[in-house]
Amino acid sequence: MRVLAYADNRSWAAQLASAADALGGDAAVFVPGRELADDAAKLYSEVFFSGLGPFEPVSYSAAFSEAARSFKPDLALLPCTNKGRSIAGLYSSAAGIRSATDVISLSARAGDSSITVRRLVYGGRAEAEFLMSAPAAVCVVQGSYPERGPRGGPGQVHEVPAPDPASSVDFKPKRREGVQPEEAEVVVVAGRGIRSKEDLELVKELARALGGAWSVTRPLAADQGWADSWVGISGLVVSPKLYIGVGVSGQPHHMMGARGSKIIVAINKDPGAPIFEECDYGIVGDLYAVVPELLKLLGGKDRGL
Amino acid sequence: MKILVAVKPTFDIGQLKFEKDGTPMLDACPVSLGEADRCALEEAMRIKERLGATVAAATVGSSEAHYKAIRDSYAMGADEGYLVKADDPWKLDALSVASAIARVAAATGPYDLVLTGSGAGDTHASVIGPMIAGILGIPLIAGVDRLEVRGPGVVAGTCKLEDGSYTYEAKTPAVVTVTSEANAPRIPNLRAILRSKGMPIREMSAGELGIDLRRLEPLSVRKYEIKRKRIIYKAEDQKGAAEASAKLLAALRSEGVLS
Ligand SMILES: Cc1cc2nc3c(=O)[nH]c(=O)nc-3n(C[C@H](O)[C@H](O)[C@H](O)COP(=O)(O)OP(=O)(O)OC[C@H]3O[C@@H](n4cnc5c(N)ncnc54)[C@H](O)[C@@H]3O)c2cc1C
Ligand SMILES: Nc1ncnc2c1ncn2[C@@H]1O[C@H](COP(=O)(O)O)[C@@H](O)[C@H]1O
Repeated sequence: MRVLAYADNRSWAAQLASAADALGGDAAVFVPGRELADDAAKLYSEVFFSGLGPFEPVSYSAAFSEAARSFKPDLALLPCTNKGRSIAGLYSSAAGIRSATDVISLSARAGDSSITVRRLVYGGRAEAEFLMSAPAAVCVVQGSYPERGPRGGPGQVHEVPAPDPASSVDFKPKRREGVQPEEAEVVVVAGRGIRSKEDLELVKELARALGGAWSVTRPLAADQGWADSWVGISGLVVSPKLYIGVGVSGQPHHMMGARGSKIIVAINKDPGAPIFEECDYGIVGDLYAVVPELLKLLGGKDRGL
Repeated sequence: MKILVAVKPTFDIGQLKFEKDGTPMLDACPVSLGEADRCALEEAMRIKERLGATVAAATVGSSEAHYKAIRDSYAMGADEGYLVKADDPWKLDALSVASAIARVAAATGPYDLVLTGSGAGDTHASVIGPMIAGILGIPLIAGVDRLEVRGPGVVAGTCKLEDGSYTYEAKTPAVVTVTSEANAPRIPNLRAILRSKGMPIREMSAGELGIDLRRLEPLSVRKYEIKRKRIIYKAEDQKGAAEASAKLLAALRSEGVLS
């Protein structure tokens, strides 16, 4: 099976390389900038790159389609991120092929043109198995496949001309202070149990004491504006060793972003909160009592709350 | 201006229950016009109120809930409603749904804007809007928290993506997908609801639109099994909090996730 991946960073290039391995056959990757091409060449036998500017879905998808015209994949593999979903939608409609998102595993029998796809459905409450026939496009959930190491010799690198964007773009990169949740070994997430922006310090302090990163649930970012990203199906998917939800209820759309964590901890005052169904360890109690105790024990400064 | 909003009835997945064998009980799950779709309708209404516009709502599927989705769109202020007939609509392939909406747009337009939700609460594929843009060959702004008509034929949208905030400006016609944070959708008053019941829903068949609606039949669907330890400590007061915290940290150390 010929597989063409789309990756906009090294981690995705390596994860999708593993996914492609699982299907066997030849794998190539498209990357949207020259900087990534050399790293990607260590993982794939062919690399296509295009000197694209900040993300704009139509031109990105057009460049990816151009690479596909040249490589003629049976399957396109994309990250299940907001950007990956947009490219998958544009690319599959342009190519007139089927697509599936939220895919957690893929398999194909040698010489067979159909692919068995397992994907999350109903906001991650259920999983379904589908048979798709090639050609098709699928978006793979972060953490479903491990990052693969380099293969033998470097792959061939081809340049694809960058198409014009369909919209003008003004990009403001995220403020990147401290460890980022996507890369951290510990992620502490604040939910609506946190009452004010000032109180968010409690969660940031716990993250610092554990040497990890902090994030929030969507309402805190999108409604309150206390952070510029969040964990969940419509935000970041994290896979740390330790996830701690503080005042997080554990709705499925949020938990889909945390399931890849090795250990899940919940601190919530409502014993009926759904997160207690989906955690390894939980404390039923007031976060304003529990978090300061944790900080004390971890040797953080006593906030005397 | 003329605006088309694609809407769909959406399962409240928080309330989804499963049979013993893990089959989802969709028939018993509450279903209503999607959250993000309401926000898309609200954006259309705000443009209508500020600049004048005709707003049409379209859905693909002929369950009772699909008719209700159009009626709810009328109650929010839509002027026209289109329903593409399809039995068993929950299994429709995304590309078929997008083609149907694109054909409705071509048959009843031209439209300046086609709006969709950025991701439905149940499927959350977030591909229908991009597919419509791909089929119509027009610009796409996906995942918009703030939508603005900047002048005749120019729309702008601000989106929060993985690595930061993007503001796009595009010439119309364009497809814009709207998040459920974009606004607080209006709640229709009783008069609007009563009026919506009398408004005609224009039904169309796939044949009439010249498309073939395909379905994706899953081999199996089962409940996602959560395999977690669920060890719970109770912290009723400050002393309890101290004890529970100590137990938690000890457990995390023995798991090897804390040094
Ligand atoms: C299509 C769609 C996509 C979505 N995508 C995402 C996503 O990507 N990420 C995301 O996070 N959400 C997402 N959501 C929203 C999601 O469904 C929930 O609404 C959200 O995750 C809830 O956030 P929360 O847990 O912070 O708030 P709530 O659900 O309000 O929970 C707050 C919790 O805090 C507890 N609490 C209150 N006070 C205290 C205290 N003093 N001490 C201890 N506990 C306390 C309460 O018991 C409660 O359980 C999405 C929704 C939709 C429809
Ligand atoms: N059957 C349908 N009929 C009309 N619009 C739909 C349908 N399915 C999805 N949509 C639109 O596409 C958006 C995104 O859906 P999805 O790609 O499934 O996440 C929804 O919020 C709707 O606006």
